[in-house]
Amino acid sequence: MASLKRSILLLILCGYTAFAAGPFVWAAMLSLRTTTEIHLDHFALPDPIHWEKFPDAWFNSNYATYFLNSVQVVVAAVLIVTIVGAMAAHCLARYRFRFNRLIYFVLFSTIIFPPQITIISLFQVLVNYGLYNSKLGLTLVYVAIQLPLTVYILESFFARIPADLFDAARMDGYSDWEIFWRVALPVALPAVATTVILNFILLWNEFLFAVVLITEEANRTLPLGIQRFIGDTQEDIGMIATGLMIAIIPVVVIYAFFSEKLIQGMTAGAVK
Amino acid sequence: MAIVKLDNLTKVYDRSHGAAADSVSLEIGHGEFMVLLGPSGCGKTTTLRMIAGLESITDGTLSIDGKVVNKVPAKDRDIAMVFQSYALYPHMTVKNNLAFGLRRRSVPRAEIEEKVQRVAATLELDSLLGRRPHALSGGQRQRVALGRAIVRDPKVFLFDEPLSNLDAALRVSTRVEIAALHRRLGATMIYVTHDQIEAMTMGTRICIMNGGRVMQVGKPLHVYRRPVNTFVAGFLGNPPMNLIPATVTDRDGGRSVRVGEAVLRVPEKRAPASMPGSPVTFGIRAEHVALTAQTGEDTAEIAGEVVQVESLGAETIVMTRLAGVENNFVARVAGDADVTVGERCRLFLDLSETHLFDAQGQSMSTEPNERTA
Repeated sequence: MASLKRSILLLILCGYTAFAAGPFVWAAMLSLRTTTEIHLDHFALPDPIHWEKFPDAWFNSNYATYFLNSVQVVVAAVLIVTIVGAMAAHCLARYRFRFNRLIYFVLFSTIIFPPQITIISLFQVLVNYGLYNSKLGLTLVYVAIQLPLTVYILESFFARIPADLFDAARMDGYSDWEIFWRVALPVALPAVATTVILNFILLWNEFLFAVVLITEEANRTLPLGIQRFIGDTQEDIGMIATGLMIAIIPVVVIYAFFSEKLIQGMTAGAVK
Repeated sequence: MAIVKLDNLTKVYDRSHGAAADSVSLEIGHGEFMVLLGPSGCGKTTTLRMIAGLESITDGTLSIDGKVVNKVPAKDRDIAMVFQSYALYPHMTVKNNLAFGLRRRSVPRAEIEEKVQRVAATLELDSLLGRRPHALSGGQRQRVALGRAIVRDPKVFLFDEPLSNLDAALRVSTRVEIAALHRRLGATMIYVTHDQIEAMTMGTRICIMNGGRVMQVGKPLHVYRRPVNTFVAGFLGNPPMNLIPATVTDRDGGRSVRVGEAVLRVPEKRAPASMPGSPVTFGIRAEHVALTAQTGEDTAEIAGEVVQVESLGAETIVMTRLAGVENNFVARVAGDADVTVGERCRLFLDLSETHLFDAQGQSMSTEPNERTA
């Protein structure tokens, strides 16, 4: 009976894995085939395997620049949003001060606005400050759009850290600033990892703000680079798939690195 | 060691809710083990946190060794505290938990190592130094929390209900350990609890608090035997003291009281003569009520009916109902006492151990007492 249950469970898991991983595997196969081969048979295995497409995309299609731009913008934005968000969340969760909940509400309520509403005004602000078409401008916009969600996730986690822990650190002689870095942040690492992964994935794939706020080739990020393979009348599906594979590597690396902490963050409090 | 002096220490969180600690005055001497005892919300933890520097002081002065420390931050008071929840840093090993406070104080690395090893050996934590708190049992965590306080060698130790998360057996053994620790270190310790067994067994003196105010301070047995008001009388002791509404009669020159239908003569030392008809509260502890005949001039006999019997092995708690009295009247008798619910019984009261409280609930005893609020 137990083995039957186990077999059924295994079957369901296999089915779900195929469902979830199928499109990824298909895209991976497409990335190793040319567009002509793909048009002949959409689902054939790569034969021969066109490894040369990867260096071709990297060197001849300016992917190296896009990739570097994406790394610069996203890493800087995630770093800033994590530090600023964690500090804000720690303050909102830990300290009693006037308008604490009002600030939290105002910050969080910005989540309800779709990005299309703010994009025109953001465009104008960036033009006025000379940040339009710059990586710094895009980084700051990314920080602004991801900050509310980050604070929301972290605040609820910080609020669950027992106050005694901070009192103990105060008795041990540490200042509020030191307590944040040496106690609060390490204890909240699972939640911090969760926000790092979420923000990294969302910003790495972000297209709307990037396409509106960046027009110069030298400052384009990866999602814009992939778009270049889509023309008005035709699209180079093979190279799009190759570009996607290049783009996805950092996401997989980040996820693999932080996934254990992510799971801890999601299940925190569920198990004593 | 240090002298800690609280002079009208007051803490108000919200003016509309009154003071959490109200004019608390107390002096804790060198090497004394003072226990702050009281029910939940009585202000004992607030008082402790003010001493620790974790709460600001609304009014009054707090001094350590004669120096006013009202505005001195917690880190500069040279005080260590053991928390109810242990408050161990979950991301650090036991060793780092012990060393964390020393590192902040720029103690040389070799000295930190030596101190940590010494404390670990004292508390039998040697084999656990590499573990994180989640891999420890409740008792082990408690020992690490104790170790974290000891390793700093502070002037004053504060304990905030440190045993309340332990099971009964571990609580007893840890209680003994803390008492032994106090004897060994000879340090000034202030211990907050709502458990009167802890207070009675550990404290050099106890301070009973209620509603933010100090009710009585004194040696445990003295407070037990000479409660200054009905709150202390009812709070300290298990079962609590029998407290029965009574009226002063005109017999014996105003020294007899009517309890239900019985009239009892209270010894002179326990109450001055009062105006006949005055309402008072008559109190007597359960161990001073017997079910077997007693002799002696201060013994009184009254009739009652058994309503509940609790056999605890070594002793039996018998709850009775007296004629004309609403409250239960409790007697503590030998474990082998043969008593059944519903039977009529005769109760023998040792009147030399009675207490009378006036209409405001204050003791009417004329015997000298220790300081009260």
